[in-house]
Amino acid sequence: MSKTAELLPGTLDMLILKAVSLKPLHGYGVLIRIRQISGDALEIPQGSLYPALYRLEHRDLIAAEWGQSENNRRAKYYTLTAAGRRRLRDETAGWNRLATAIAAALNTTSEEV
Amino acid sequence: MLKRLRSLFRVLTRRREFEDGMTEELRFHIEQYTDELVRSGVTPEKAARLAQRELGSLANVKGDCREAFGIHLFDELRRELSYAARLLRKTPGFTATALLTLAVCFGANLTIFAVIDSVLLRPLPFPEPDRLVTVFNTYPKAGVDRDGSSLTNYYERRGHISAFTSLAIYHYGTEIIGEPGSTERLQTMRVSPDFFSTLGLGPAIGRTFTEEETTSETDHVAILSDAFWRQRYNADPNVIGKLIRVNSVPRTVIGVLPPAFRFLSSDARVFLPLASRPEDRAPSGRHSGGNVIQMIARLEPRATLAQAQSQLDAQNAALEVDDPQAKMIADAGFRSLVVPLHADHVATIRPTLVLLEAGVLLLLLIGAVNLVNLLLIRASGRVKELAVRQALGASHGYIVSETLVETTLLTLVGGLLGLAVGAGGIHLLRVLGVDRLPLGGRIAFDARLALACLVAAIVMGIVLAAPIAWFNLRRHLGNALQAESRGGTSGRAAQFLRHGFIVSQIALAFMLLAGAGLLGLSLQRVMAVSPGFQSDHVLTGQILLPWADYPDGTARLTFVESLIDKIGHLPGVLSAGVVNNVPFSGKSGKSAATVMGHVLRPGESVRGHYSYGVAGDYFRAMGFSLRSGRFLTADDPRRAERVCVVDEDFARYYWPHASAIGQRLWDGSDTGKDAEAFTVVGVVGGAKQAGLTEDEAQGAIYYPYVFRIGDSFFVAVRTSLPPESLGLTLQTVVRQIDPDIPVNDLRSMDTRIADSLVARRSPALLAGLFSCMALLLTAIGTYGVLSYAVAQRRREIGLRMALGAQPGQIRSQFFYLSLRLLAGGTLLGLIGAWQANRAMGSVLFHVQPLNLPILAGATCVMGVVSFAACLLPSQRAARISPRETLAEE
Repeated sequence: MSKTAELLPGTLDMLILKAVSLKPLHGYGVLIRIRQISGDALEIPQGSLYPALYRLEHRDLIAAEWGQSENNRRAKYYTLTAAGRRRLRDETAGWNRLATAIAAALNTTSEEV
Repeated sequence: MLKRLRSLFRVLTRRREFEDGMTEELRFHIEQYTDELVRSGVTPEKAARLAQRELGSLANVKGDCREAFGIHLFDELRRELSYAARLLRKTPGFTATALLTLAVCFGANLTIFAVIDSVLLRPLPFPEPDRLVTVFNTYPKAGVDRDGSSLTNYYERRGHISAFTSLAIYHYGTEIIGEPGSTERLQTMRVSPDFFSTLGLGPAIGRTFTEEETTSETDHVAILSDAFWRQRYNADPNVIGKLIRVNSVPRTVIGVLPPAFRFLSSDARVFLPLASRPEDRAPSGRHSGGNVIQMIARLEPRATLAQAQSQLDAQNAALEVDDPQAKMIADAGFRSLVVPLHADHVATIRPTLVLLEAGVLLLLLIGAVNLVNLLLIRASGRVKELAVRQALGASHGYIVSETLVETTLLTLVGGLLGLAVGAGGIHLLRVLGVDRLPLGGRIAFDARLALACLVAAIVMGIVLAAPIAWFNLRRHLGNALQAESRGGTSGRAAQFLRHGFIVSQIALAFMLLAGAGLLGLSLQRVMAVSPGFQSDHVLTGQILLPWADYPDGTARLTFVESLIDKIGHLPGVLSAGVVNNVPFSGKSGKSAATVMGHVLRPGESVRGHYSYGVAGDYFRAMGFSLRSGRFLTADDPRRAERVCVVDEDFARYYWPHASAIGQRLWDGSDTGKDAEAFTVVGVVGGAKQAGLTEDEAQGAIYYPYVFRIGDSFFVAVRTSLPPESLGLTLQTVVRQIDPDIPVNDLRSMDTRIADSLVARRSPALLAGLFSCMALLLTAIGTYGVLSYAVAQRRREIGLRMALGAQPGQIRSQFFYLSLRLLAGGTLLGLIGAWQANRAMGSVLFHVQPLNLPILAGATCVMGVVSFAACLLPSQRAARISPRETLAEE
């Protein structure tokens, strides 16, 4: 547990959108993909994954469709919609601004004040 | 937002699919995770358990997923609905009473709202209808309140009143339409070329009339209504240019109106140009409107009614300067008034409708009070249950939403039943002849009404829920649990509330009853008025002779004489005659007469009188009584001296102290040549012409028909048979003379008089109906509350009886209670009725708004109903057995 970081509130949606933007995924795939692209640093609480997916689908940011999984099982695949793509872009930009600002603030030394 | 609603809707409509998909998706997730764990070396059993635990409770995840779509609210609603439905089913007596109350109240309100909506609220079907006005001449001091407009007015005003963008005239008529052998008499309108542009709605196909088509040589064109075009021409798109026979003269169809075109209450099928001769438009005809031609105009977008009025006044003043009749016109109080078209058209019926709406709202209020009371009683019965549930953690919000769901379910079902009652009510109105009222033809049961009812039902649900939710919440938990367990008496506040509602209910019902009583009394007074002739056994009908076939007076007179002769020989006919216009035809107009030797007093003007030409035995046919002199005879037209008959009102006005016989007068507003004067040879009884409520006797003059030949006349036949049975024979006789002439508007005089009362009878009947419902509701309410009071105090009563109280004492205790409620309600009702009845003055006939017998009668009825309602509960209280009640503990 020491190497996984705590998920900040509000970031789950952003991560799901990112994961789905790379390739259509089913719910479990989203979980694996987030773990993979964060270098095993982020662990999604499984209980909140599906409500988040449903919320995003309801808001028309992702679309769901039934398809075949790698092991030939019926699975629900999520893809990014146009609105979702816009949202991901905005959130990424916003996050980057916030991260830069916080990093700058935290790196300030006493001489610079 | 819209997208989310659509997504929610999609999920709700495919709920099964959603649930199955969710289950499958979660199962897939667990299996995948289990596989992964097994691959990393965990035993399958442990892996499955771990995977399950990692995801958490399946029910929780599913709940969160549903919430993401907003479905959980609907699940909760469904649960509450089924709970409410179960509760309502458990108390069928209460539910049936509440639903019946709601159905009656909603139904009655819907019915009256349908009338109000189509007559008063819905705008006329033209663009910017609020800019449409009507203009009419009035001569109040001559006894002529409304005289339409003249052709001269139209040609003088057109283009000269800048407050009007356009101005048009029209008159209603009926014409014989169709090929010989298949003719039909249809309603028509003759209109000036700018009529359609003034309304802002012209033909859908073809064109409107042009200025060149306004002379009788060039007016051979016609525009058809959409209904007529579909009926007669099967909606033929090539109808333009075809010929249509109007009064046996062919005319070219030049246009077809759109389906939505409906001018006021007219059912005109064919529109013709209003043609006239140049001499008809001359200044001398300025005041000869005769209430035939009517004027409409469209206000300039920035102009006000007041501006238009002042421009009209200014023009009238300027024109009067060189008018030889100026003095007479001014003496008559002449003015041309501009009033909004819609409001003017419904002006006569408006006060009655507003009154009925007020009555029906009172009924709704009584119903609502009744329901609140019943619901409160019901809530009192569930205090303990609610207290237990609150103690177990039911939130305030939950209690409120539960109450709301229950009352709304009740009102929605009640609303549906109300729709059915309303549909029946609208049907009843039609039977009562309400479609003959102005714009009454528009009254229909439509989606708009259904929507109004739905909204009303929901609002009612919320309104009813408010006091109940308050009652449920305000009770202190501990108190409720204890009070009820000891079976003590009800809370003072709740009792006060219930009694207050009964008092207000009695007061409201009292007001309704008093109002209905006044309307009924007024109707009775109207019906007691004698029309001035014997209206029984008289059949009347209108005949219109087209100018084309009957171009001059001789031809017309020949027709009339041969008709009278033929009818006179029919079996069962006692006498028959002809007149320009029978009383109660709805077409009465007045014209001026000048009495020889009568000097106008200062401020007195030449008066308008009902003036008719009569032929045959008109007076005997109608049952007029002869006061002095003689009736007109068939020889009179051939006499060298012109003669006439006047009625007693006329005679009394001009010769109050002398005999009218031998006096002389001229037809018209000028002193004419001596040879043209008519000598009065008889005085007949005065008759009501326009309606039984006509108060000012304006007087009537009857000339020999030859002096008053018009394009239409009425035939009146007195028969020993039931008058309606003669209708077919009359038609046959007319067709024997000319096969193309139909008889119109065939009605007995009794029917005409009854029909003229439709605007009074229906409201009185409806108000009576409403007050009966109100009485019933009040009785139910009083009964319910007293029964509850008795049930609540069973223990107390039982105890008192065990201690020696007599059943009579117990009974009278409840009688006193209901007497107090009745006294309070009646007192409030008297004050309310006193206020409300004063507003009714305008619709009452010869009845003082503050009518003591009516108020006393209402008090009696209210008293009887309240006592009847309290009889059963108090009887039950008196029969309570002390042994049983005490043993119940």
